[in-house]
Parts: sequence; structure tokens; C-alpha cells
Amino acid sequence: MKRVLFSLLFISSLAYISASAQCGEEVKRQALDEMGNSQYIRDYSINIEKDDGGGKTGQVKFNVLLNSRNHYRFNVVDGPSNRDKIVMQLYDEDNMLVSNYDGGTHYDSFEFVCRSTKVYSLVFSFRGGGEGCAEAVISLVKQYSEGEMGF
Amino acid sequence: MIKNLFFVLLIFAGFQLLSSCGGCSDRSGQQDDDQLMLPDSLISSDAPLKLSEEIMNEVIGNVSSPVEMANMFKRSGVEFSQRIMNDPDNANSYQTSFKRALNLGVYSADLGYINTFDKNNIVVGYLMAIQTLAEGIRVGQFFDFNALRRMASGSTNLDSLMQMSISSFNEMDNYLRDQNRSNVSSLIVTGTWIEGLYIAANVYEQTGDENIAHSIAEQKNVINILEIILDNYSSEPNFAELVEDIRELKEVYSNVSITTQLGEPETIEQDGRLIFVQDEISIVDYTPEDMDNIVATIKRIRNKIVE
Repeated sequence: MKRVLFSLLFISSLAYISASAQCGEEVKRQALDEMGNSQYIRDYSINIEKDDGGGKTGQVKFNVLLNSRNHYRFNVVDGPSNRDKIVMQLYDEDNMLVSNYDGGTHYDSFEFVCRSTKVYSLVFSFRGGGEGCAEAVISLVKQYSEGEMGF
Repeated sequence: MIKNLFFVLLIFAGFQLLSSCGGCSDRSGQQDDDQLMLPDSLISSDAPLKLSEEIMNEVIGNVSSPVEMANMFKRSGVEFSQRIMNDPDNANSYQTSFKRALNLGVYSADLGYINTFDKNNIVVGYLMAIQTLAEGIRVGQFFDFNALRRMASGSTNLDSLMQMSISSFNEMDNYLRDQNRSNVSSLIVTGTWIEGLYIAANVYEQTGDENIAHSIAEQKNVINILEIILDNYSSEPNFAELVEDIRELKEVYSNVSITTQLGEPETIEQDGRLIFVQDEISIVDYTPEDMDNIVATIKRIRNKIVE
């Protein structure tokens, strides 16, 4: 009987942890507010949890097509219960282009002046391998014409 | 005592499972209805997909939003033209899920165009068209149409309305892919992309704007992605026909050359923000004849979609 009780307690705790890992509308609204004057393109909900085996968490990846001559902003807001700040990185295949954790400083956003239309990867992780959630927004800051910014 | 505790925990565990699935129950019931509306060949387990849903999800997430193309139109100085867009009254004439999904994408691109030019007076008609089609393929639950209409009718900035509607489209897209209904998602994405290109083609014809031509030419990179997505479902005749159209477009794009040149990467810190300027630069080459052929083919395909 004790085993059944323990199992049920464990299952209910897991369900609670899973539900509480959702960041919710408030965090999303904050991420949209912090987008500023740029034009909204897309938002991402990130949940990073440990698998059944425990240990450190991995990363969450989203593919995104970015167009040349466009200046994008990527901003992210951590969930209230995150122990560490989330790291957001933009990759071109295996080459990391920019990260919101740079030179020991955590930034809430980074901007990217795209000069080559292709598929990039937006990758989220926690440096310490912890769990947490976040909401990120991609927005359009500016579009450049031929002759500007070396285009 | 133990029995009581057991009973309490059982109820608690049941409640947790139900609450963690808040909103799931309606959607799973919805899925059954939705699947009935799809071609049997696409929902049958006897029709294996060439790509896994996981890969399809990655591929579909790659196609860009209507905002970027629409923003460029305004900068070109062109006048807004309602004539370019699909007539919202056409929404009622699309009787198949295939047509409804494609044109849901078309109207979403039109909404981006309307938003860019702040045309509050016509936005409600387009929201109603989107509502008709979204409900027609049983994904209307992702849009709060009453709130959207209130925003459109009031003094609210159209950017907020656009943000809400794109966010709803994204939620719908995520849901469709989670439910292994990437076929529907792929049609919406294709409709959005084609309509964006169609509006761009019209604006280019009116203005000869080099930035728009460049952007149209650069879409060569997206065609392969769309071909892969749609070909996955080409066992269904409507999809097979659409794949043929995309291949025709690919053919006229074949003369466009995109090469890359390495420049100097630059990272700037400005007002607490990190700005990265990419070192790789795309060089896009095409002739005016290439562009004329591309424009003509885009127009033909788009008109077939909305007819």
C-alpha cells in the first residue's frame, strides 16, 4: 500500500512540476512589450526540463528563415521561477553567430543584421544545465536598401 | 486512515492530470473531426510519409512571415491597392479543406499587406474571411475573432491586431504540427508565401523597385523547402498538382544565381543591446527577363489558388 501511495504522490508531483514549468501569458506579454517599436514576426515558448534520467538539461532548437537586408531583434524573458538566465544563440549551421551571453554579460536581447537569406537555428539552453521556461520574440527592426550597410 | 489518504491522493493525482491537460480535451475531440475532412490517402496508415513529422516540423518552421515582404511594399512608395488582394467574399466559395487551407494562408498575407498600410476600414472583411476558412478546417478556436473585430473597429493600432492575429496563426500552426497534421500546415504556409510573392510581383510591376525584385529573386532559396514539404503528400492528387506548379516556378527561378561573399563580421554594443552584422553576404544575379518570367509564373499559380 505504501508503494502505491508513494507512486501516486510521485506522479502527482511530476504533474505539478510539468504544469508549473509553463511560462504563461504574463511572461509572453512582457516579451512582446520588450520588443519595443520593431514589428512582431514570431514568438517562441521554451520549456527546458530534465528527462527521466535526471542530470543536466539539453537545448531547444527552432529553425528560422531570415532574409538578407533585414535587421532583426531577438528578445527573451525568463520565467519567474528560473534559477539561471536562459542563453539564446543564433547559429548558421554549426557556426554560432551571436549569443545573448557575451563576455560574461547576459543581455535580454540581441540584434542581427542579416546579409544572407537562409535557414538559421535559434538555440536555447541553461549554462548550468538547469530547468526553466522562457518566452522569446523575433521582430523586424529595419529593412535596408541597396547601398546601405554594404548591401 | 491510509484508505482515506489513498482516496485523497487519487483524487489529487486525477485532478493534476486533468489540469495539466487543460485545453487538451476539446482539441483532441476536435482532431477526430478534422481528420475526417482530410483526404483518406493522407490520414491512412497505409500511406507512409517520405519524411518524418519531426523533420517536416523543422522544414515548415523555416518559411518566413508575411510581415517582412509587406513592410517592403510601403517603403517602395507604392499606393495601396485592394484590387491586388484576394476578395474576402471568395472565402465562402472554397468548399474543400485543401482550398480552404491554401486560402487561409493567402488571406493571412493579405492581412499583413493591409496592416502595413493601416487600412482599418477593410480589415474586418478579411478577418471574417479568415474566420470562415479557419472554422471550415476546424481551427477557428485559435482566433478570438470578437476581440480581433473589436480591435479592428476601434481606434486600436493595427500593429496590435496584426500581432494578435499572427500569434494566433502561430498557435494554430504549432497545434496542427503537434497533431501530425503538417499537411494542412504546409498548405497554409504555401498560400501565405505565394500571396506574398504575388503582391510583391504586382508592386514590382508598378514601381520597378530594385529592393522588391531582389527580394523576389532571393526567394529561390525557399522553393526547394516548399517542394520538399509538398512532395511529401503528393500521393494526394491536389498536392501532386501543386507540386507541379512549384516545380514550374523552380524552373523559371533556375536562371537566378545566388552566390556568397565573405565580408567582415561586426559586433556592436549600443544602448545595452548587442548588434551583430553578418560577415557573409549574398550576391543575387538575374536579368529583367528572368524577373518577368518569375512574375508571370507567380501570377498564374496564385490565380489558380484563389479561383
